[in-house]
Amino acid sequence: MSTTTDGIVETSGVDDETIKANAEGAAEKRTLGIGFWIAVIWLGIVFFAAAFAPWLPFKDPDANYIQRGERPPYPPSMTHPFGTDQDARDILARTAFGGRVSLTVGLVAIAMGMFFGGLMGILAGYFRGWWDRIFSFIFIILLSFPSLVLAILITSLLERSLRTISLTLGILTIAPVGRVARATTISFTEREFVLAARTLGAKNGRIIIRELLPNVVIPMSALALLGMGVAVVAEAGLAFLGLSVEKGPTWGKVILTGAGSRDLQKYPWIAIIPIVVLFFTVLALNFAGDRIRSYFDAKETAL
Amino acid sequence: MSKTAETPLLELDDLKTHFRTERGLVRAVDGVTISLKRGESLGVVGESGSGKTVLSRSIMGLLPSSSVNHGSVKFAGREILGLSAKQMRHLWGAEMSMVFQNPLNSLNPLMKIGKQITEPLQLHLGMSKATANETAVQLLRDVRIPEAEQRLNQYPHELSGGMRQRVMIAIALACGPTLLFADEPTTALDVTVQAQILDLIGEQRRERNMSVILVTHDLGVVAGHTDQIAVMYGGKLVEYAPTKTLFANMLMPYTKSLMRSIPKLVDPSHSRLATIPGRPPDLVNPPPGCNFAPRCLYAQPKCHVEEPPLVEANDPSHKYACWYPVGTPEFEKRDAELQATGYRADDVMAVS
Amino acid sequence: MRKYWLQRLGAAIGLLLAVSALTFGAMNLLGDPLFNILGPTAASTTPEDLEIIAAAEAEYNLDDPLPVRYVKWASAFITGDFGVQFSSDGQPPVSDLIKERLPRTLMLLIMAQTMAITVAVPWALLAASKADKAVDKISTITAFLFIAVPNVGLAVILKYLFALKFSIFPLIYNASDPFWSRVWQMMLPAISLALPAAAIYQRLLRTDLITTLQEDYILTARSKGVSKRNVLFKHALRPSLFSFITIVGITTGALLGGSLIVEQVFIIPGLGSAIVEAILREDFPVVLAIVMIVTAAFVVINIFVDLIYSLIDPRVRAE
Repeated sequence: MSTTTDGIVETSGVDDETIKANAEGAAEKRTLGIGFWIAVIWLGIVFFAAAFAPWLPFKDPDANYIQRGERPPYPPSMTHPFGTDQDARDILARTAFGGRVSLTVGLVAIAMGMFFGGLMGILAGYFRGWWDRIFSFIFIILLSFPSLVLAILITSLLERSLRTISLTLGILTIAPVGRVARATTISFTEREFVLAARTLGAKNGRIIIRELLPNVVIPMSALALLGMGVAVVAEAGLAFLGLSVEKGPTWGKVILTGAGSRDLQKYPWIAIIPIVVLFFTVLALNFAGDRIRSYFDAKETAL
Repeated sequence: MSKTAETPLLELDDLKTHFRTERGLVRAVDGVTISLKRGESLGVVGESGSGKTVLSRSIMGLLPSSSVNHGSVKFAGREILGLSAKQMRHLWGAEMSMVFQNPLNSLNPLMKIGKQITEPLQLHLGMSKATANETAVQLLRDVRIPEAEQRLNQYPHELSGGMRQRVMIAIALACGPTLLFADEPTTALDVTVQAQILDLIGEQRRERNMSVILVTHDLGVVAGHTDQIAVMYGGKLVEYAPTKTLFANMLMPYTKSLMRSIPKLVDPSHSRLATIPGRPPDLVNPPPGCNFAPRCLYAQPKCHVEEPPLVEANDPSHKYACWYPVGTPEFEKRDAELQATGYRADDVMAVS
Repeated sequence: MRKYWLQRLGAAIGLLLAVSALTFGAMNLLGDPLFNILGPTAASTTPEDLEIIAAAEAEYNLDDPLPVRYVKWASAFITGDFGVQFSSDGQPPVSDLIKERLPRTLMLLIMAQTMAITVAVPWALLAASKADKAVDKISTITAFLFIAVPNVGLAVILKYLFALKFSIFPLIYNASDPFWSRVWQMMLPAISLALPAAAIYQRLLRTDLITTLQEDYILTARSKGVSKRNVLFKHALRPSLFSFITIVGITTGALLGGSLIVEQVFIIPGLGSAIVEAILREDFPVVLAIVMIVTAAFVVINIFVDLIYSLIDPRVRAE
């Protein structure tokens, strides 16, 4: 018979929604789900390893563990669970320590983006008028640059430190976050409870903080996780191009070490292991962000 | 009137349509038995939630797979309830078609009018593009749309509401169906245009000897344009009679309320609009007894306990489902009480 | 209609001016412009180098204030004069480099977008027509995975699997090979860009299709006896394309960025690798020129997207 994609316009007046929801075949699950928690666990492991790397039993990421009689790189073994690279540096250690840079950059970038982007977006969406014109203009300019191109432009001009890389990626995050903040703010200001607060004489500042902020923060948090994934990937991309932080390992740098054709063919673990770590981390961030968003979306439509 | 085509075109026997939902089984249509001859028109009247729209879609077979059907639907003698969409597709547009409520949303905004009309022509009748276009122009003329040729290349948003509805009718009539469903065809239109559309449908019906099922909440709409009327409430058929009989002799209090709630020009200005108080019944857990009892101004104790069956009146073509219809002593007594208060529904509700 | 397009054009030009001013300003303010142009030579004090410095100062009007320099640079840029490559021998004009490298990146991008769209549309149609059934659920998971994969990771893995381990695709891009060989050599790089893009497109189009399928006019189409397949293709697809087209335009920017990485992984001498090399050699006229070209292209593409909108939706045309 007909599939679940057929729509009925008006069936019985009372139960329109339930019939439609059933007809569509799937009500959004109101729980975060087990996948969410698996993602959180993985992220926890990665963050823990990165944060406490100097105190955990990892090898020295810059030391050369040359074994007598054999030339590096060494495949994964008991002493080197992830193997070593061509200079006999332990990849597990480099991944763990690399996580420190990659994740820090991700966190700082997204924090910056959320703060500045969120601020600009909320102001633009709430006050409209000149605020909106100026900030939207800034957003548009920022979004006119293909993101990686803007990133390499800025990093090519500045010194390559953790600070500047984080700053650069932060600037990249401002516009996407700002636009979402603005749109969310606009949709909320048009709702009754803000109108109600205004008629009760509440001052703008109070409205923003008490009524708007809690509601805008939720979609932005989901965005934060997704954005962090993007920032981490961007850093990996920059590092791969040789344009990331100069000192110390990052995930992108380790991947770069193993990506040459000959190296990749004979010693695939050098590049592939950090790729896998990077992939699962980004996957976990994306998935968690997605679950949060649909969890809160589902609640909202129940209004 | 020829006696040879005696097999009714459409026969419904205890048709039930239920929906499985999270809350339970929604009994949208709960036992409807109707018979319609070729060329006859039936009006299905009821409030929103009465099941009238589900009924029409159920007969056509356009419901999603979460619906469960019981009973029988015979079209031209052939059982069509339970046929797959693939099988029904041969009937859709060709033998039976539907005119929908909101012509702005029911026409594809990105497709030219001409294409929307020629599509069924080419599909079912195998016409060539040229023939189909000519036929489409003729159809547009049939439905009284001026400048028919130009319209073929226009888009829905370029036409007025009334013209769009005419286009929908043209599309529905394109392949010469024997059964036309009109689902609230005039609700979204101006009053002046309403009459034109209804007249148009009636005209086409006579010319093509086509049966029409007119679904509406407005008794006034069906008054002059139908041969039979079926009144639905809470998914059930509560009164079913030839139109003249019904208007001459309404039996069910619900029908009477519907009648009374139509504002009339002869009413003095600023008269209170009579409405039926309360809301339609919950179709998952209907109240015991008669569905309408909680809102019925004439309800007696029995009405709240036992569900009235559909029975024949003195005139066998007139069926109704009520314990104390118009004419019974209980009804007359109550009616007198209400007359005294000037049919003020809310007053009466306060007393009872 | 005309007014709308004039406005749009004006806005685009304004945007390009703002972007170019920003880029130019950044390059000249975030560091010593002389150094940015000449590199280490700027600090030198040998007589020949001092001459070069003087020449550069004259050429680039370094004594003039910034806005003047910008105007001079911009007017030269529009006429195709992008300056010279200071880091290469003989200092050939930057435009030579661009002419050489651009076609390859263009081929890569066109192949990638074409593949992405060609894969995404049927995929989305399939998923929407079987919404929430097994096929759809699997495709949602797959799409999600491809979106999460970083470009660098995907490119390296594809290279490992299909060029090294199973030598299906060639490893090296050779610019002097005939056209079709080059297309084949470009396949793997294009695929690594196309897959994540296809996943993004598919997800969006699928959602829009499902929404469109709930519209009233879809029911009308069905009631006319139109087959499910035709309902999808002829009635539901077109109205669902709006967000799709927008995202295709926006993703071009992501693809441009991705091409930088993919060109490095597969060693393709295109615009992406040109800019990376230029950065490492500190040859800033090149960097500036390529950034501007790429960004301008991006802006133009998004205007193009608007144009396509009006072609698809007759209601927009009427405004």
